[in-house]
Amino acid sequence: MNPASSPALHPISWVAWLAVAISAITITRNPLYLLLILLALALVAEIERPAGRTRPIDPILFAAFAVTISGLFNAVSVHYGDTVMLRLPASWPLLGGPITLEALAYGMTNGLALGALIAAFAAFGSALPVGALLRLVPRAFYPLAVVVAIAVTYVPLTIRQARQVREAQQLRGHQMRSWRDGLPLLLPLLIGGLERALQLAEALAARGFAAARPPERLRLLLAGGLASAFAGVLLRVAWGQDLVGAALILLGAAMTLAVLYVAGRRTPRTHYRIYRWGRYDALALGGAGLALAALLLPWPARQSLFYVTYPTLRAPPFDPLLATALLGLLAPLLVRLRPRVNAKSKITKGSQ
Amino acid sequence: MRDRLLSGVTIMLTTLIGVVAFLYPFWLPTLAASGTGVAHAEDAPVLLTMIVGMSFVTLLLEAQRAAEHALLVALLGVLVAMNAILRLIDVALPLPGGFSPIFVLIILTGYLFGGSFGFLMGAMTLVVSALITGGIGPWMPYQMLTAGWVGLSAPLCRWPIRALGDQGSRAETLLLAAFGALWGFGYGAIMNLWFWPFASGPLDQHYQAGIGLGAIIQRYLAFYLTTSLIWDVAGSLGNALLLAAFGGPILRALRRFARRFAFVIRPESAGEPL
Repeated sequence: MNPASSPALHPISWVAWLAVAISAITITRNPLYLLLILLALALVAEIERPAGRTRPIDPILFAAFAVTISGLFNAVSVHYGDTVMLRLPASWPLLGGPITLEALAYGMTNGLALGALIAAFAAFGSALPVGALLRLVPRAFYPLAVVVAIAVTYVPLTIRQARQVREAQQLRGHQMRSWRDGLPLLLPLLIGGLERALQLAEALAARGFAAARPPERLRLLLAGGLASAFAGVLLRVAWGQDLVGAALILLGAAMTLAVLYVAGRRTPRTHYRIYRWGRYDALALGGAGLALAALLLPWPARQSLFYVTYPTLRAPPFDPLLATALLGLLAPLLVRLRPRVNAKSKITKGSQ
Repeated sequence: MRDRLLSGVTIMLTTLIGVVAFLYPFWLPTLAASGTGVAHAEDAPVLLTMIVGMSFVTLLLEAQRAAEHALLVALLGVLVAMNAILRLIDVALPLPGGFSPIFVLIILTGYLFGGSFGFLMGAMTLVVSALITGGIGPWMPYQMLTAGWVGLSAPLCRWPIRALGDQGSRAETLLLAAFGALWGFGYGAIMNLWFWPFASGPLDQHYQAGIGLGAIIQRYLAFYLTTSLIWDVAGSLGNALLLAAFGGPILRALRRFARRFAFVIRPESAGEPL
């Protein structure tokens, strides 16, 4: 298992891997490929889970739940498809009509996609410790990263203070008989927290903390970029103006990125821990790249991705080559083959 | 004046984008049926997700101005930590339906310290609780944006409260409780929509010939009644009860500290921090 503070892969490699996993789940509705992706991602999530940490959500159990609920809901709400299993009385509001096998299968496929999505994020969340996730925050959001860092640090302190407040109130005879009795616990906790915030602010100010306010021209540029991109999306999607729409979207995206870059440059940041790129990053990115190429390149097997249960249910196609390429998403697990020496991240002082 | 105008325009633009993007499952198939934008309807989910992401970045950068001083950064950090613990309780204990104690502080801080502070309070609470529980998921940006909206919209209560009574009056607490009850339904209804692009797949694979806006709304209503109504009623009642019972004392404590947190040395040109 990973040591909690040093991920074996560069955080950016994990972001790229997550993007490919989401793309795969979004592009295909073939249940065989979706099942394969779900199992692969759940395996990565399970192996990357640090020892001793409980699963916030079990991807396989969630997928089973989502497949059942989504299948049933689609079956009773979409009365379309050739294979009628039973008919509900037409007089039943919203639900009445034929219940078809195709609608049931389509709903179950959607549930499978949701389960795979949960598995992808479970793997991402398991693989990266909080410190590495905070490093992914763009420099333009430096004050917010400080807020998150303070909050994460203060959570255990606040829990300890809550216990102390409870014990003090119990000594005074306070009993929790209903939810209304929570106030004598909540108020001292809030007031104590606010007092601590004042002390912390003094410490921050004494160490020279100051966040630069973004200049007005940057805010104007950001709002302009957003308006441009929004106009582009509407033109492209609603009015079919492909070229003008795409140009406006690109312009808006470029303006937003430029603002983030300029705002970030105003906030220099140094790092305690340096993450370096290594050959396992190349392997993980290579595996994800293989899966992405199989999904996007125009080759004959790609047709098997596009499967729909309507109007008559038939067996979904399956291409072994494409399935093998999708297993490229397992590539981050190759890190487990490395010698047990922590060579990927070095604790050195300096800047990246 | 120009500063406030720019803030207002940015908030209105991002809200408009949010409404259009969250409601796209309602209007897109109708548009496809009319034939106007059908050529590129299939990339609409990706484009709309991208534009929601951009508006979230814009709103976050705009609201971040509420956290430019050590006092406000520390205040936000400590309050977010407390709210994240309340969310832990929500996750760990079997509370009924959508009942969640996190909205009390989001609404009260937004109402008292301003929309930007409330927005950050909502968005950061969800980030921190996801980080400490390992609950990072595709729903997180949508939760952040929606919880942020709850805090951002809280100052809207100021005008009716001023009209009905003064600070600290019973009317203030009751109006905030009603506002919390409304958001109990609003939060649930918006969060229902996050997985539509993933659940429905590309438009050409789920689009049904002849389906109109009425049929789509009917389908959403069926979905809402069967899966969400009871859940959201619990959320709405929980918000109202907690705000009605605890809102007054918490507001008094926050007001007392607001004066101490408002002490900030800043250039002459800048306005009030809180």
